[in-house]
Amino acid sequence: MDLNLNGDELNTCVQCGLCLAHCPTYRVSGDESMSPRGRIHLMREVQLNNAPVTHEVLRSFETCVQCRGCEPACPSAVPYGHLMETTRETLADAGLMTPWWQRLAMRPLAHTKLLGAGSVMVALAQRGRLVPKRLGLSVDVPFTQEPLRASGTDVIMFTGCVMDAWQRDVHQAGQRVLEAAGFGVTPSGDLAPCCGALHAHAGLADDTRTYATNMMRTLSRGAIADASIIVDSAGCSAQMKDYGHLLGTEAARRFSSRVFDISEFLALHLDRLPEGSQLAGTVAIQDPCHLRHVQRVHEATRTVLGRYIPNLVELDDDGLCCGAGGAYSVMEAQLSGQIRDRKVAVISAKDPDLVASANPGCSMHLGAVGVPTIHPMELVDRALHG
Amino acid sequence: MSMLEKARRRLGDRGARAEPATDDDRLLSELRLALAPDRVRFDGAERSLHAKDASVFRGGVAGPSCFPVNTEEVQAIMRIAAAHGRGVVPRGAGTGLAGGAIPLGAPIVVALTKMNRILSVDTDSRVAWVEPGVINLDLTRHLTPMGFHFAPDPSSQQVCTIGGNLANNAGGPHCLAYGVTNAHIMAMEVVLADGDVAMLGGLDPEPAGLDLRGVFVGSEGTLGIATKIAVRITKNRPAVRTLLLSFDSVSDAANTVSGIIAAGIVPAALEVMDHRITVAVENYVGAGYPRDAAAVLLAEVDGLDDGVGIDADRIAEIGRQHGATDVRTANDDNERALLWKGRKTAFGAIAQIAPDYYLHDTVVPRSELANVLEKVYAIADNYDLKVMNVFHAGDGNLHPLLLFDSREPGVLERVHAAGKEIVEASLDAGGVLSGEHGIGVEKQAYMDRLFSDDDLDHQDRLRRAFDPGCRANPGKVIPMGHSCADIQALRRVPTGVWG
Amino acid sequence: MTATGTGGRLRHGPGVARFAADVGPEGPVAVAGARTRWHSGGEPVREPRLVTAPVGIVEYKPDEMTIRIAVGTTVAELDAALAEHGQRSALPDRGGTVGGAVVVGENDRDVLSRGAVRNAVLQVSYVSSEGKVVSGGGPTVKNVSGFDIPRLTVGSLGTLGCLAEVILRTNPIPAVSRWFETRADPFALFDALLAPAALLWDGVTTWIHLEGHGPDVEAELVRASALGATAEVESPPQMPGPHRWSLPPAQLRGVGDLIDGRWLASIGVGTVLATAPQPGRELSASVTAVHDRMKQYFDPTGRLNPGRDPGRR
Repeated sequence: MDLNLNGDELNTCVQCGLCLAHCPTYRVSGDESMSPRGRIHLMREVQLNNAPVTHEVLRSFETCVQCRGCEPACPSAVPYGHLMETTRETLADAGLMTPWWQRLAMRPLAHTKLLGAGSVMVALAQRGRLVPKRLGLSVDVPFTQEPLRASGTDVIMFTGCVMDAWQRDVHQAGQRVLEAAGFGVTPSGDLAPCCGALHAHAGLADDTRTYATNMMRTLSRGAIADASIIVDSAGCSAQMKDYGHLLGTEAARRFSSRVFDISEFLALHLDRLPEGSQLAGTVAIQDPCHLRHVQRVHEATRTVLGRYIPNLVELDDDGLCCGAGGAYSVMEAQLSGQIRDRKVAVISAKDPDLVASANPGCSMHLGAVGVPTIHPMELVDRALHG
Repeated sequence: MSMLEKARRRLGDRGARAEPATDDDRLLSELRLALAPDRVRFDGAERSLHAKDASVFRGGVAGPSCFPVNTEEVQAIMRIAAAHGRGVVPRGAGTGLAGGAIPLGAPIVVALTKMNRILSVDTDSRVAWVEPGVINLDLTRHLTPMGFHFAPDPSSQQVCTIGGNLANNAGGPHCLAYGVTNAHIMAMEVVLADGDVAMLGGLDPEPAGLDLRGVFVGSEGTLGIATKIAVRITKNRPAVRTLLLSFDSVSDAANTVSGIIAAGIVPAALEVMDHRITVAVENYVGAGYPRDAAAVLLAEVDGLDDGVGIDADRIAEIGRQHGATDVRTANDDNERALLWKGRKTAFGAIAQIAPDYYLHDTVVPRSELANVLEKVYAIADNYDLKVMNVFHAGDGNLHPLLLFDSREPGVLERVHAAGKEIVEASLDAGGVLSGEHGIGVEKQAYMDRLFSDDDLDHQDRLRRAFDPGCRANPGKVIPMGHSCADIQALRRVPTGVWG
Repeated sequence: MTATGTGGRLRHGPGVARFAADVGPEGPVAVAGARTRWHSGGEPVREPRLVTAPVGIVEYKPDEMTIRIAVGTTVAELDAALAEHGQRSALPDRGGTVGGAVVVGENDRDVLSRGAVRNAVLQVSYVSSEGKVVSGGGPTVKNVSGFDIPRLTVGSLGTLGCLAEVILRTNPIPAVSRWFETRADPFALFDALLAPAALLWDGVTTWIHLEGHGPDVEAELVRASALGATAEVESPPQMPGPHRWSLPPAQLRGVGDLIDGRWLASIGVGTVLATAPQPGRELSASVTAVHDRMKQYFDPTGRLNPGRDPGRR
């Protein structure tokens, strides 16, 4: 079966295996079929040697968290993330992956009002203890939230879907920090309801392309037409930086170049951040995979937090994934839990007071087992505003 | 049932029909009963994956794959294999470069990656007990807070397993001063081909009996499967200095290396990279390797402050005497780590230049390094191939990499012919076939260039003393024409196997 | 003479051919050297023919730090030749022949700095039970070509083949070598020192052997003295004998309760020299089975050094 993979990209892997140790599913399973090298081998077998797409082959692809921890580990620079997204897209189109109910579940993400209504129901269910534990919802989903207000047009604050519905206080903290650095902020709100990252991971790239096209239009008009787009969720910023590749147009590449993770942006404007106060306590940095392995801008978190937190500690696992992976923690609950157990052990070894993580998925996943997580912007906000 | 599930059920049926029935079915059900159903696999995907390792060798055929979690399960696998007359191939992370883990004749593949616990660390006896699936670098990370490390550091140490290190008698840059894996294995529990468990070696310095532990290390899985391993742990050195010397020719670098050895200095590591590989590595790591040098020598000394200073100064001086154009010392741990990251990922960085490479692993006397390297370049030129050299110079362990694109017609024949001449040039200079990658299936054909029939016959006796039925990793190390190579390798290959 | 012929195979000198003829294909034979370790692993039985191994240094490459030597040569001669080039080997310098030291597998007192004998033998040539010359290993310092016949030889007491020639790795003699005496806790010393050549303890006194660059030895001495007063001594202590124990280093803490009479323990190593013998160390049934098959395949009639048992070494 043709997986629509680029032959040259598929050929760059020399099968050395250096990626294995950086793959969370290989780490917990020890199984070659759950490793990047193994998955690439199976892609080759399917596309080049017409091997059957068996249940086991599908499981190999489905179990990938798409953390892309293998990419920085690869001296041959195999574009694994793209290979896996294309593979999933082809298999989803062929009806072999991503069932209807999963597709349906993703639809509301692009509709802020629908998501808002859904969230109220989740909030009600949570209070009534009706939410199954395995969903790992560690936040108390709020009933109502204070709306975000525009303060200028220097930068756009991307507010997104789930995060805006459930963790708007992070956006508010980020906006206050940006404003403290002298930037006028326009929250994206209804202009850009969803980045499409979860869809892309599930092989529903057409949906992602639609969101991308819409967002590029609405965020490239008027006073904010050239403004930098600041994102406080690493999964979203990674996806939006990939629009150039996804759509393959010059406009998309230009749009992508306007996208910054919020720490990345602040690190570039460090001189504009006020002194603030020094925060006590030990903070461990848990790099979201899409910040570290995909965007590779995780040093910025340290640059910014280092100004306000003397006791920053690193985790000893080379940035191995925590197992959240967007919808992965629900779809592959068992594997996801095993990966998290590993991460929790690594965190415990450092015994921090707080764990800073710049991605809502990671925070919720770790928070579900009692890890005290916080977004880096909430810490900076605390240092600046008490 | 959803449509998706139905579609997949159909696929599953198709997969199942492709598998052979009868003997394999009985074998499978016995294995599943002994382990657990989900830890015994026989699907096409798994078999295709386990037919390979990191070598260029193709043509392996895997039987059932087992993932045991303890010694008893390994024992059960061995007994079932014996009852069915099947071979057994142990497998770690599959990073071997000589095809040692490639299954020949559909043997049972025993993946030891789930046996990955560090069982104990005893700093009094300087020993750690580990299971074979523990990753080399994980062990060193575990030991770091105690002030110790595991000395063998193959370039794949971030992913290769201690069991694999043991099977291959793995080396690494720092084996120059500390010795290869065999010097760091004190004892081990092994499961022999008949299913018996034996404890080889001991924590005492001169254990009674033959040195069966020493013989088992480096035997590439042909003597049994190690299930618990006592490794020697080495105290971290308080002082380390890393020098980077640049040269106008590879010969100057090679002569510097033999000059250092001749001066009675035993550095922790002496690594040479030629121009091409240095540039490729620098593109990947940006460690500050010179892009214009014909060769660089990475030299590291460790120990106590003063001695390290004395040795580093002498190395720099010997380098200058041999024409070093620049001598640089790494300023801090960060710079040193980057230099080493570059050296250790060198093979992978080659994909920037060509999609395929064929790597040799010969060792020559250190005084012959310059001479043999000159021949290596001439041979590659002769066959119109690009060659890159990156090697453990202090041990005389060459790693010439022949670069090619397998899509080019006829190139493989040239690569093999050039490889053969390189091996012969190394042997003629008084060298050997492999310094650390092993013989596997890759270098079997050259064994009779190094050993006589009688020599090989005695190696075969050694092997059969452990495994009279020749069922442990059949068809490896000893070339065809000697008993153990013949028995299993030519077994029938089951039908319906893809990959 | 060159060490290798075309294609890397070993060509042997005339001494080896003579030795092969002496050993021949039949009848019990025992190899006699200096008889320094004659009683190791049992006495000869079946009235074997006594043969002697060839002698002489075949090829010494100081720049390569390897030496090819016929094993009838004494360790003293080996040491003298190496010392001329500022080198030494792992073989114990308490007398006897190279062959005796290798087949018994006895390490030097300074094993921590000189290395173990089992790690020093790079290549071996021996006469098989069929009277043929067989080789294993290779001439280079690093080698994984084929099965490890050299390590099978070390400690075999000549029961699998009669050793004729070996290539040994050598190492440089350190610039400075000094001995010290102290009453400090030997285990704390072993923890504190980076790389002592030897730490010998008789239950009361500890003798510290420090080697290396002068300033490094001084630095190590400072560390040692921090744990208790040290005094420099001329030479190492008198070695008790004739027995040699091999214990896990962790067991040395209670070694006084294990051994009657005088003893001297090598801390961090586990070797104990004592007036009393170590009780027999039993090999397990599965290890014995491998031993038995090894003997059967290498020497089916049991003609090589009959009476010796590596398990009772």
